[in-house]
Amino acid sequence: MEWLYIACILLSGTAMVIITLIIPFGVFMRYVMNSPLSWPEPAAVVMMVMFSFIGGAAVYRANVHVAVEALLNAVSAGQKRLMLIGVDLCIAIVALFMVFYGGQLCRITWNQSMAEFPALPAGAVYLPIPIAGALTFLFLIERVWVGAPPSTSYMYSDAAADLE
Amino acid sequence: MDILILLGSFALLCALGLPVAYALGLAAICAALWVDIPVEAVMLKISDGTDDFALLAIPFFVLAGAIMAEGGMAARLINMARIFVGFIRGGLALVNILASSLFGCISGSSVADTSAIGSVMIPQMVKAGFPKVFATNVTICGSVQALLIPPSHNAVIYSLAAGGSVSVAHLFLAGIFPGLLFALCLIGLVLWISHKRQYPKGEPVALKDVPKIVVEALWGLVTVVIIMGGILSGVFTPTESAAVACVYAFLVTFLVYRDYHWRDLPRMIHRVVKTVSMVMMLIGFSVAFGYMMAIMQIPAKVTQFFLSVSDNKYVFLLLVNILLLLLGTFMDLAPMLLICTPIFMPVILKLGIDPVHFGMIMILNLGIGLITPPVGPTLFVGCAIGKVTMEEVSKELWPFYGAMCIALLLVTYIPAISLWLPGLTK
Repeated sequence: MEWLYIACILLSGTAMVIITLIIPFGVFMRYVMNSPLSWPEPAAVVMMVMFSFIGGAAVYRANVHVAVEALLNAVSAGQKRLMLIGVDLCIAIVALFMVFYGGQLCRITWNQSMAEFPALPAGAVYLPIPIAGALTFLFLIERVWVGAPPSTSYMYSDAAADLE
Repeated sequence: MDILILLGSFALLCALGLPVAYALGLAAICAALWVDIPVEAVMLKISDGTDDFALLAIPFFVLAGAIMAEGGMAARLINMARIFVGFIRGGLALVNILASSLFGCISGSSVADTSAIGSVMIPQMVKAGFPKVFATNVTICGSVQALLIPPSHNAVIYSLAAGGSVSVAHLFLAGIFPGLLFALCLIGLVLWISHKRQYPKGEPVALKDVPKIVVEALWGLVTVVIIMGGILSGVFTPTESAAVACVYAFLVTFLVYRDYHWRDLPRMIHRVVKTVSMVMMLIGFSVAFGYMMAIMQIPAKVTQFFLSVSDNKYVFLLLVNILLLLLGTFMDLAPMLLICTPIFMPVILKLGIDPVHFGMIMILNLGIGLITPPVGPTLFVGCAIGKVTMEEVSKELWPFYGAMCIALLLVTYIPAISLWLPGLTK
């Protein structure tokens, strides 16, 4: 699972860096070279959808998603355990809905093509939803089966560099 | 019953401790099943929520802020603030607030601000004789300015939540005076406390050092000129200006400041990916939630309810402020903006409140929520950096809440504070 997490972050991070480069490149081509390009914007949007969902699955494993934990922290240990089981069940339901209905959405739109990239099926744009659902489900199984990732995990390695 | 299914299940799932993004998604799915809408339509909306070009500004602003914060910008802005206010009583506390105003020009996150300014200022303030708790409180309260002062990615989120009809450029301009007013309220309070408790005076900066300090800080502050100048002149869209700012921030950090090491870059991208993915998932699921709210005509019902209570806009604004302050103590800024904006938008339009003005009220109000227990991300980060407990900090936060509420009331009831600058460009 550690490698899966690293792959998610690598993929999302690479997409983010590419987006950060192609948008200014589009501006450069438009103003400096006087030759506007049509692809940077739609390409950036497609990559943003990908990194949002794939990165979102990784964020679930890293336990960084915003949650209201006031009640969780106020109840007894036994009640907290029950509530956390409820949380895991809900995550599983959302993840499986994303896999099944996200997959359906891809299937329905697969034969349509995108106006900006005719070679790319429209369904491919929605592919990150079922993939993110599947990844979240796998990370959930890991959490239930093995427990939280160890403190040596790569996901804790992103502490800020020392500030001056 | 429709409202109960959507909002009730959402509240229940949040109370259970389910991450807000998934709670929004599951509540939307439950509502779709209830009113017989295909779940594929909900999935389509989730994807639609993240494939808007304007949204790309969010990762870019977060990335530019992270590059600048870790690339030595915070220390240089603190040095610049020291020139103006460092020499008076309570000077370091004032430097802290002013540095946050300047830092707000490069980062729109109060957490990033607390982390960057706090890790430099809190130890310095404690060393100079300020109590740890006071130093932490000044840092976390001062950081709320970053949410208002442009560029603020929360303004982009609000614009999106308002249906894209509110100009990001106007929101950016509108944030300048509320941000500065907020800083002034805090400065007034800090001056009063410093005189009352006889906190130490700071050392004046030697005149010969001033030019070097100003030039070094200006390299970073040019970021806001690129962003605002680019947007207002029509050269860039907000998204393009944010991307160009990223490249500029990178060049300044690696070629001019040279404090940051290449080896730290993957770590920073890792952190930015986590932050941005979390926000984007939240946006995707909240768009699906908003879609179900629209289908169930919840905003219209809420409008009816508020108008039945009072059709006076000042009463409405007071009620909304109280409601948001209460909800803000439990929930983070971005999800609250995404959930509440579409609900309140029809009411404010009906009452003749400018959406840009309302955006400033919401961002400032919910920004205060970031430093209120039990759920306050900025408060948590501040306590970790200041090495103080939440209880210690909370006990002494009351005067700061008072100053911040004065700023909130002024921004709420004097629309010109927010609307004068954007009005000049219309």
